[in-house]
Amino acid sequence: MRPIERDLLRFKEIVRGEVKKKAREFLTREELFGQVEGRLVSIPLPQLELPKIVYGEPRGEGLGLGGPGTEGLGPAGHVPVAELELEEFLDLMGEALRLPRLRPKGEGEVTEEAFRYTTIARKGPRGLRHVRRTLKESLKRALITGEYRPEEPLLVPEREDLRYKAPRSKPRPHAQAVVLFALDVSGSMREEELRLVKTLSFWITLWIKRHFPRLERRYLLHDAEAWEVSEEEFFRAREGGGTRLSSALLLAEEILKAYPEAFYNRYLYHFSDGENWQGDTPLALEALRRLLPTLALYGYAQVQGPYGQGRFLEDLKEALGKEEGLAATEVRGREDLPLALRRLLGG
Amino acid sequence: MRKELRQWAEILRERALAAGLSFPPVLFEEVGPEEMAMLAAYGGFPRRYPHWRWGSEYLRHRETYRYGLGRIYELVVNTHPVRAYLLKSNTLLAQKLVMAHVFAHADFFQNNLAFKPIPKDMHEEMAHHAAFVEKAMERHGARSVEEFLDLALSLENLIDPHAPYIRRPEKEGPEEAEPPKRLRVRPYLDPYVNPPPEPPKEAEEGGRPEPLPPRPTRDILGFLARYAPLAPWQKGILEIIREESLYYVPQAATKILNEGWATYWHTRLLLPLLSPEEALEFAELQAGLLAPHGFNPYRLGYLLLKEVEERWDKGRFGPEYEALPLGERLTYERPTGLGLKQLFQVRTVHTDLSFLDTFLTPEFALRQRLLNPEDLPRFAEAKKALLFRLTNGGYPIVELVDANHGNRGELLLEHAYEGVELDLKKTQAVLENLYRLWGRPVHLKTVVGEKETLLSAGS
Repeated sequence: MRPIERDLLRFKEIVRGEVKKKAREFLTREELFGQVEGRLVSIPLPQLELPKIVYGEPRGEGLGLGGPGTEGLGPAGHVPVAELELEEFLDLMGEALRLPRLRPKGEGEVTEEAFRYTTIARKGPRGLRHVRRTLKESLKRALITGEYRPEEPLLVPEREDLRYKAPRSKPRPHAQAVVLFALDVSGSMREEELRLVKTLSFWITLWIKRHFPRLERRYLLHDAEAWEVSEEEFFRAREGGGTRLSSALLLAEEILKAYPEAFYNRYLYHFSDGENWQGDTPLALEALRRLLPTLALYGYAQVQGPYGQGRFLEDLKEALGKEEGLAATEVRGREDLPLALRRLLGG
Repeated sequence: MRKELRQWAEILRERALAAGLSFPPVLFEEVGPEEMAMLAAYGGFPRRYPHWRWGSEYLRHRETYRYGLGRIYELVVNTHPVRAYLLKSNTLLAQKLVMAHVFAHADFFQNNLAFKPIPKDMHEEMAHHAAFVEKAMERHGARSVEEFLDLALSLENLIDPHAPYIRRPEKEGPEEAEPPKRLRVRPYLDPYVNPPPEPPKEAEEGGRPEPLPPRPTRDILGFLARYAPLAPWQKGILEIIREESLYYVPQAATKILNEGWATYWHTRLLLPLLSPEEALEFAELQAGLLAPHGFNPYRLGYLLLKEVEERWDKGRFGPEYEALPLGERLTYERPTGLGLKQLFQVRTVHTDLSFLDTFLTPEFALRQRLLNPEDLPRFAEAKKALLFRLTNGGYPIVELVDANHGNRGELLLEHAYEGVELDLKKTQAVLENLYRLWGRPVHLKTVVGEKETLLSAGS
């Protein structure tokens, strides 16, 4: 290994170490949230910069004579950044937060055709011509017809000698998943609670996607009624009326019909403060009894609002606590996030 | 290297010598982008001590190239012979330009006074340093040596950039009976071969102890290497970092002048040789090189040297000229043809600081649109700010004033405050590092919010 590769490996090792050390901090870093779809994650690493005695903010410079330091952010605003592949970053986060690996349910697999150029054909585009195989054919023909003279081993391929690389389709198994987020917007969820919900659903999505690259996402809101919304709409703060948790579960059931459990790993997440209308809880539990066996996980996160929290979590645990596929947790604040996330992913 | 390129190197070398440049042999080597990225990360040398920051730099250069955000055309190393690396993928014209550029750099290294005390065998030095650090890692564990390197590198700017020029007697004063014989060895070996003198014993000598250091010093790394309670390998590392820092001081101090000089010469040597097709490509390369975005040392250096040449050709200097009002200066002419001679003089005696101080005039700033006419009254202020940023490589000047502060063996440092405050967070982190090295509390006198302030670590 060249010495510079050794130095590079060491640098990457340190970056990984920093990510793991700061995993809890990254959890709530909202600037990361914009990067979900990207391939790379930029990681600010101020502690990786060797500190030096330097000047702070330069004095305001009105005049453009230029000079070192007018480029870029300048000494004070500069934060060294390392980039990690999203997958590697997620794996590190997963390790640090002890997130559970998700396993596809047996039937949740589809096979998908994937083309690989692994075979040879007699016809094809020029660019895919297989030179060695073509010459081999040419040689064979020359030997058979007696045209080949070892003292002058010139081969002129003819049309019939030409060989091309050709694709062969190879079925590849692929697990797919759907995740449905339901959010209770009945009055008591406010900015801070929404932020917690956003953080949780962001990481849940990423983590499921890490295991099921073919992931579909659906969002719904509810107060006494439930309705489907877009992702952006989902995170907009708002206030509504009373609460019927069952409304969300019934709509979820309806939406999930489009994702038969034979082909999809189905995840349903429900965020609420747990205040439910009297009389609705039995309905909700009944809907859940039907849904649970068809789901990979039902995650219920009870977020503590400014007016305390309701008792749905208790009711849920009491009624269905022993069922498989139920992941229930409560979130009172940021410090609960790592544990809540782990719980919601079935850990 | 390709034959064609070798021939061009020869042609350009001869033209450069004929034009009055003088330089040691120059070895050209073509390298690919990855190797260039490595050399750039290592500061031009193929062998450096192991450290993650080279890896980080390497990654940055490599990605910058990969995503087409920039390329390093060339890298020149100040050694004897001069080594120059050319990017393999450069076109022939770009290689010609770069080679002409390199000969001018080689001339600059050889003739500019700032480079006089710099050793010319840094390849060997760097390799020795690498071997020393690797050995230390074997003996004391890679992680603990790395940790120490991190600590020590945060002090790498705490050197006296003038140290190589200063020759002081080891000690002053008559009572020094017999100075111990010092064997001349590589600085990082010094603590092994010439152990530091025992600090004077106050009680025995009765009189006032000699202050340590005897006078304020900016050579804080050197001081620590000598007196800090460290293991010999740690002192060796401090010396290594000090020596490597000093090596790069003249390069940082002459960036604008050196790049300006090289640009001036590649233009001058190459222009007459260009075919019409090449002229277009040359113009494109040149435009990229001299692009006016951000701070571009090539542009400022080149334009200012051209200005100096023109002024001295036209006799626009001396008391008679200086006495003229601005408007008349612009048209004054007294042909002397002294331009080129003056340029060689500038190349020999100036650093960026003195170069800009001497030749950056309001006329120049106006002509090159560095300044709007309505800003003219603030020219002096803007120039001062620019010079300030070039002083001491842009780093604050910090001196070690007292190593026995409060008679408690604490370090007292002092920042020469010039109206710009320190970055307190980073400074504090450095003080903590100093405290870890010195083992006793460390203080730095500076100004915060216009009030004199003592920053401390360890107390």
